Amino acid sequence: MMASSTSEVRLVIDGKRMDGRGPEDLRQLRIEAGVLHEADGSAFVEWGGNKIICGVYGPRECIPRFLASPYRALVKCRYMMSPFASLEEHSRSGPSRRSTELSKVIREVFENLVIAEKFPNTQIDIYIDVLQADGGTRTASITAAAVALANAGIPMKDMVSAVAVGKADGQLLVDLGKAEDNFGQSDTPVAFASRSKDILLIQMDGMLTRDEMARVLDMAERAEGKIHAVQADSLKRHYEEAGEKKFLM
Amino acid sequence: MNGRKIILPGEKIADARVQVPGAFNDSQATYASVVGMLDEEGRFIPMEKKYRPIVDDVVIGMVTDARHAGYDVELNLPNVGFIPARDIRLKLELGDFVVCKVREVTETGDMDLADVRRLPRGQMVVFPPAKVPRLIGKKLSMINLIKENVGDILVGNNGYVWISEKADIPLAIKVVKMIDEGAHFSGLTDRVAAFFAKEKQNKVI
Amino acid sequence: MSDELKDMVMSRIKKDVMLGTLAKGTRYDGRQLDEFRPISVQKGALKSADGSALACIGGTKVLASVKFDVATPFADRPTEGVLITNSELLPLASPSFEPGPPDENSVEFARIVDRAVRSAECVDLKSLFIKEGKVISLFLDLYVLDHTGNFIDAGTLAASAALSDAKFPKVEGDKIVRGEYVGPLNPRALPISTTLVKIGKTWLVDPTREEEMVQDCRITIATTESHVCAIQKGKGSLTKQELLDNIDIAFKRGSEIRAML
Repeated sequence: MMASSTSEVRLVIDGKRMDGRGPEDLRQLRIEAGVLHEADGSAFVEWGGNKIICGVYGPRECIPRFLASPYRALVKCRYMMSPFASLEEHSRSGPSRRSTELSKVIREVFENLVIAEKFPNTQIDIYIDVLQADGGTRTASITAAAVALANAGIPMKDMVSAVAVGKADGQLLVDLGKAEDNFGQSDTPVAFASRSKDILLIQMDGMLTRDEMARVLDMAERAEGKIHAVQADSLKRHYEEAGEKKFLM
Repeated sequence: MNGRKIILPGEKIADARVQVPGAFNDSQATYASVVGMLDEEGRFIPMEKKYRPIVDDVVIGMVTDARHAGYDVELNLPNVGFIPARDIRLKLELGDFVVCKVREVTETGDMDLADVRRLPRGQMVVFPPAKVPRLIGKKLSMINLIKENVGDILVGNNGYVWISEKADIPLAIKVVKMIDEGAHFSGLTDRVAAFFAKEKQNKVI
Repeated sequence: MSDELKDMVMSRIKKDVMLGTLAKGTRYDGRQLDEFRPISVQKGALKSADGSALACIGGTKVLASVKFDVATPFADRPTEGVLITNSELLPLASPSFEPGPPDENSVEFARIVDRAVRSAECVDLKSLFIKEGKVISLFLDLYVLDHTGNFIDAGTLAASAALSDAKFPKVEGDKIVRGEYVGPLNPRALPISTTLVKIGKTWLVDPTREEEMVQDCRITIATTESHVCAIQKGKGSLTKQELLDNIDIAFKRGSEIRAML
């Protein structure tokens, strides 16, 4: 992120972005629910060039036992980026500082939603693996994890969808792609609960005025209506169409 | 659920406070907590639900620990069930399959079990507890149909299905899977009957 | 209840019952003893990799990725490129996979596939030489996404498919030009592995997770069209004749599966 200097690369020309989108258009979004056999719930999301798979297990026995709470289920989350996820060089596998932070903020989204009091002394595991990354993996991960949790039958107070709104070439743009993210001036991933409209995740970097910040939130909220519809459709299709679910294909 | 509206967690399903499975209330209304759909009468039918034991449920499990005080039973749940030794006369062994009733559930989900019966050797398969009613059918219609065609089979509310060693295990597994995948479609019993008819024909040939 | 304990008790009780069904010559899923579950292979599953494939055997899914970088050669092989095989048993793939550094099963898996690819000389490592002190490194990553049994064979299949999908990178100076290629990698051979387990006295091909749970012996045999290129025995023991019989099965199944690539 280059917050201080204005980018040399022109990202918006005549109101159109590099990939032809308008400022509030989303990249192509496809979600498949229930793609895995072994997991209690799962979802695969293809969003722009992102390919992310999420599996949920639980409620199951809490390990180690001393962490278990007699009042509620523990929500655990592990976000990982595969070493072959980017167009650049092969990276190291295993957790990084970035993936540790993202695991935490994603967990803190779902701790608000999961009705954990019903399952004392247990844990619920959310595993997220980014197979291919193209900017906005955390928001795509949250969107996928919500579908996987619903598919697993974990009771939740609400659904959640997430999107990033950024600023590039002096304009606010919804759902930043990789290049817009790299050369843009600001990036604000936001997750809204679908019914209550509570903000469950917000991070921000770069420089925005208060007025811009307000517009960012409005744009994110509008986008999330569209994302929620895709989530609902994925679950509907899952329960209507029996048989093997195709993904990565 | 063809054509019917899907309900996602958090969606309002009633403008009043009503107690239905897979839902929760605030001060004025009722909301879904799991994925489901509304049937013709506007009732909420959950598509996925985690099983939580209720007193008098019939559960199937496997003995995983034997102690002085009693036996631990694995029930496809995060918590184990417990059979107090003083309550039963028969001696159980590790790995025994048992069918029992839930006598008591504590606040943290631990269970005391009663009416214990040991099951003969067989195969255990896992079935989604939310769909168990479909596997049993109205007035046991489905489970009786399966029994006629494959042999002895027993379904627990906790989602464990026991198939007798003497039954046609591969056929039983096939039909249980078929019911799992088609549980929310109508005419399921007819389709299962047709499936058995076809299987029989194949065998004759 | 811990999953291991559940598996342990399940396997003891299940074995007797499964033996009864096997005695009739059928398996729980209705397959013949030497029959694989349905197989599908999808090449080019990822754009971020230089070669990739998703292989499915029944419900088991393994994703393989091939990616090139520039590295320093090993001192004892200064003119050869470097092949590095890694595997991840993703915790989302099975309740028995735990997060953390690769365990012994994951390491064994990567090493079996690595041996098959290396011995079959799929990739001419000499062709990966750039200049003194600089060679191309080939990262072969195996991601187990869903484990319903026998991820080893799905992994070998995914690896062979990803290698045949891979393109040879364009090198300028001692850097790889990302996204530009000089042509297909053209692997010289495509190893396919066949895993068999013995339950009681019966050998069966492509075990499900349930069958793996009750196995007495496991053997994985990787073959090219003409040669055995890797063998790994898991638990248990077998006779010389059993091994030779299984090698015959591995050649037969191997050539059928190779034809799908």
